[in-house]
Amino acid sequence: MFRSLNDKQSQRSLVNLTINGMLVTAPQGQTVWAAMALAGETTTRLSPVTFKARSAYCAMGVCFECMVEINGMPNQQACLFEVKEGMAVRSQKITEQTSLLTSSEITPSDAISMLAENVGGHHG
Amino acid sequence: MADNLTAPSFNNSYDIAIIGAGPAGMSAAITATKAGARVVVLDDKPRSGGQIYRNVDASPLANSAVLGEDYLKGKQITAAFKRSAAEHICGVNVWHVGNNGEVLFSLEGETQRLTARQIIVATGAMERPFPIPGWHLPGVMSAGSAQVMLKSDGLVSDGAVFAGTGPLLYLIVAQYLRLGVKVKALVDTTPKTNYVRSMSEIAGALSASAMLIKGLGLMNEIRKSGTQVYRFADNLQVMGSDTAAGVSFCVSGNSHEIVSDHVFLHQGVIPNLNMTRALGVQHHWCEQQLCWKPTTNSWGQSSQSFVSVAGDSSGIVGADSAAAMGRICALGQLVSLGLMSEQQAVTEAAEDQRFMARQQRFRRFIDCLYRPIDQHRKPTDENTVVCRCEERTVKDLKQGFAQGGRDPNQLKSQTRCGMGPCQGRMCGHTVSELLADWRNEPVADVGYYRLRTPMRLVTLQELSRFTDVAPAVTPSIIHSTKSSSSGKGSSLEEKPQ
Repeated sequence: MFRSLNDKQSQRSLVNLTINGMLVTAPQGQTVWAAMALAGETTTRLSPVTFKARSAYCAMGVCFECMVEINGMPNQQACLFEVKEGMAVRSQKITEQTSLLTSSEITPSDAISMLAENVGGHHG
Repeated sequence: MADNLTAPSFNNSYDIAIIGAGPAGMSAAITATKAGARVVVLDDKPRSGGQIYRNVDASPLANSAVLGEDYLKGKQITAAFKRSAAEHICGVNVWHVGNNGEVLFSLEGETQRLTARQIIVATGAMERPFPIPGWHLPGVMSAGSAQVMLKSDGLVSDGAVFAGTGPLLYLIVAQYLRLGVKVKALVDTTPKTNYVRSMSEIAGALSASAMLIKGLGLMNEIRKSGTQVYRFADNLQVMGSDTAAGVSFCVSGNSHEIVSDHVFLHQGVIPNLNMTRALGVQHHWCEQQLCWKPTTNSWGQSSQSFVSVAGDSSGIVGADSAAAMGRICALGQLVSLGLMSEQQAVTEAAEDQRFMARQQRFRRFIDCLYRPIDQHRKPTDENTVVCRCEERTVKDLKQGFAQGGRDPNQLKSQTRCGMGPCQGRMCGHTVSELLADWRNEPVADVGYYRLRTPMRLVTLQELSRFTDVAPAVTPSIIHSTKSSSSGKGSSLEEKPQ
């Protein structure tokens, strides 16, 4: 389990957020992942194929293992976001079975066609 | 012109957009703005510094000196960067860089757009994947993550096992020990043969003896602390079924097990390639560093002349060389922009180039000594997960290979390996190397995934809301050149090496 060295926490102002419904207080500037780790809520998401609990691996934005739902928005990297007052963080349960229904993500080819529309509009 | 999507629009355009605010990106920005270029720096973290100088100006630790002087010296460069005229946009994910100089990024649920005549990619390094049995289990993290959590949030984990090879692994263990955090064991997978082989490069290491002494000092510090150290370990595995329960490994054929619910793995770093790959610039396989690298000339210029690559994203060079490369890239682009004469750029780059040449000799020694062993890069155990996002194992990949997945892209469509949200960051190198073995051909012939925009997950909302970002209206220099190709000197035309 992770613990905070707590050195300068008193110097930072605190914010309130919820992690899987649990009320948590965290110092301003702390990453969402760090707040989760300290709260013992280390399951960030379920793996899409075998539905097993997963947790952050790299903590620097590379591995995408720490994707969580922040304020209802799925696929947010907990290690790249900082806590904010009133933030609601949830472990993500999107799997292969549910992704078609809930994911707001798009494929690269979707993106390219949308980009062409948008970019064309602005340049034209 | 109006209907041409690829035509650069230089109205309200920056001269240089730099992606990444680590030592390379910050140094490039400082050099370029000094010469009057309009520069914007984009970074995905809330503060400048990159991974190496992460939170150096806002450390959560009462005594950040425990992180070492190599960390603290980052304050000088972040201070100089803040004083520079560069615009810094932090906390944003760049997800598209077009060949028309267009840069798209997400900021608070919206897409922001800017254009630049030149691009410097300074996206740094990532840790090399460590595909061993159980590396995907909760409780297993990279050693770099331990350092990130320490630097940015002052978090530590008691009683963890650190396993692998490379300077960063020993550094974080030493940092933990200085803070009084108990480390259960250090399992060092550097093989004996590496010590022998690296002796042929020792002359290069002695030329940078201060760094060599620092490295040896770390090992001494760890040994003196009484921490259990196992050397020459191989056959490393993470124990546990649903979460990590510890590690098992062999030393000289004897098996060992260490129980711990936290395992930190590390076997060196590799360039963070997704941006240069998506830009479509030429890459090559580097056998010395066992990684793909964008191919650049001595000014850091890639096969697309408006894109330069600085720092670890061009190949692992370390923080000091990254800063030097950032300056050199900026000088090269200043010449291309017509803001500096080629002769002046050559003069100003000379010292940095000499420094980098010396560092490269040291790097050869380090790369040789800490070359990760084959069995930890190219898994043979059938159940080992290669693609963490799509949960594809060695067995799945072998099956895909047998069905015609001969190169990474074919294998991807056969198996979905590399198709998840990390876009191959965590499996790309493993797949290239595994396929090379299976085909009995060089990795260079196997290639890598073809990557495209967007480089990050983008929501429909982000795509539908666009805002343009333009330089602040205080250009100290009136730009006379309208085309980036006109002012180019001959040395910049040199073919990428």
